[in-house]
Amino acid sequence: MHEITLFQGILLAIMAFIVGMDFYLEVFFWFRPIICGTLTGLILGNLQLGLVCGGAAELAFAGLTPAGGTQPPNPILAGIMAPVLAYSTGVEATEALALALPFSFLMQYVVLMFWSGYSFLMPLMDKSLSELNFKKFNFLSIGSLILVGIVYAIIVFLCAYLAQDVMRNLVGMMPEWLSHGFEVLGGVLPAIGFAMLLKIMLKSWLIPYLIFGFIFATFLPFSNLLPLALTAVGMALIDYYRQDNTVVKGEIDDEEGI
Amino acid sequence: MKKESNKVITKSDLTKLGLRSSLVCLTFNYERMMASGFTYVQVPLLRKIYKNDKEGLKEALADNMEFINTHPNFVGFLTGLLLSLEEAHEERGIIKGIKTALYAPLAGIGDALFWFTLLPIMAGICSSFALEGNIIGPILFALVYLALVVLRIPLTHFGYKLGTKSIETINENAAKISKAAGIVGIMVIGGLIATYISLQLTVTIPLNEGITLDLQTEMLDKIFPNLLAITYVGILYYLLKKKNIKPVLLILGTFIIVLACSYFGIL
Repeated sequence: MHEITLFQGILLAIMAFIVGMDFYLEVFFWFRPIICGTLTGLILGNLQLGLVCGGAAELAFAGLTPAGGTQPPNPILAGIMAPVLAYSTGVEATEALALALPFSFLMQYVVLMFWSGYSFLMPLMDKSLSELNFKKFNFLSIGSLILVGIVYAIIVFLCAYLAQDVMRNLVGMMPEWLSHGFEVLGGVLPAIGFAMLLKIMLKSWLIPYLIFGFIFATFLPFSNLLPLALTAVGMALIDYYRQDNTVVKGEIDDEEGI
Repeated sequence: MKKESNKVITKSDLTKLGLRSSLVCLTFNYERMMASGFTYVQVPLLRKIYKNDKEGLKEALADNMEFINTHPNFVGFLTGLLLSLEEAHEERGIIKGIKTALYAPLAGIGDALFWFTLLPIMAGICSSFALEGNIIGPILFALVYLALVVLRIPLTHFGYKLGTKSIETINENAAKISKAAGIVGIMVIGGLIATYISLQLTVTIPLNEGITLDLQTEMLDKIFPNLLAITYVGILYYLLKKKNIKPVLLILGTFIIVLACSYFGIL
């Protein structure tokens, strides 16, 4: 049983700032529990505890990946809070991991809100680029990342040092419809991206291929789009060898572009 | 049709591009996923290529701000390839088509390789060390992933070389390739619509005692799975194209509709 000191709380917050941004970018993988758990152990002055808790959390989180734009329970909060709880309450690593899960879910929703909310930045960024205002574009790009880091730092500081009970209860207090709503949003918002893509790319002679792609992906269960892309290449090749070098009628743009 | 290709990209540019490709998830969001990060990665070299051509630069930037989601490890390769085409001033349609044809399969390959194969292996090995209290576990883990970051640099050079080599072939058959790229691109988008968008009704209608009708599984899915997804894209397309509604309003509208539907238990 140990108290977390203010200094340790601040160090944990600084670490969360860095690994939080790393998780957003998926670069060095310091956000995995095995790394941030070990670092937490170092900060708490008990490396062994960090290693064991981080290792246990890593195994538990190995199958939970953000592949394909889905947001898993947050690995950082699990990696940090498991050793913190084991350190401060004296429980075993596995129990500490279970106790850390609510914090992990809390942060999962926060990241979901970032992924949904940053959709609103896109029109601003479109505008800054159309004006060739790179200062504004860079500010939005980097500023949005730093904001993610700051939110991680604040939440970890609150969870680890200041208000553990309040933060734990926060997950239970969040209404079901709101957290569910953000999950659904993740599945619906890409529709806007695709609609904008179609606005620019879709020509009337391409509509059959759009239908083929949609039908194939709907009815053939494959784990990624490679088979579909190869089918598409096949169809494109048929078309390629059938046409002469002369431009085919109907190919001329019937769109005004952007 | 083609301007004289004017090489401006140096080897050190490509190395920098490979490192910068790690920033592809900047401003990652559900609407267009990696679009702005993918643009951010390319901005310095696009500005170099379109130094005296503001309109060309604007077009290239706008194209890159379209929806894209791929695996971060392959972004260096992809941007290297695309920038070699930009440098050669290929037709926008060809560049866009090649991009669209490649990113989704690369995402699938990358997820399968790195998330579903490498991560469980690394987690298994390194955790077993860590659980014994051996510091080798996290160190090995960090080193392997650091190596993957470094690997992005040669992949970027490879992408650029591949692109430069194909340029002659592309130039000889520009019109045909442009058409073929359009076909592949639009088919992949059709597939993306079916796989990325998930819109499921949760409404059930009680018919008799104990018998309920699940609107999604027993009605809509029997007509056509993904019916709601393609319908919603169709509506958004109509609003964008024919009514000139601003995207920000569509995002706002989607937020309100989805959260309200979640509140009332419809979605």
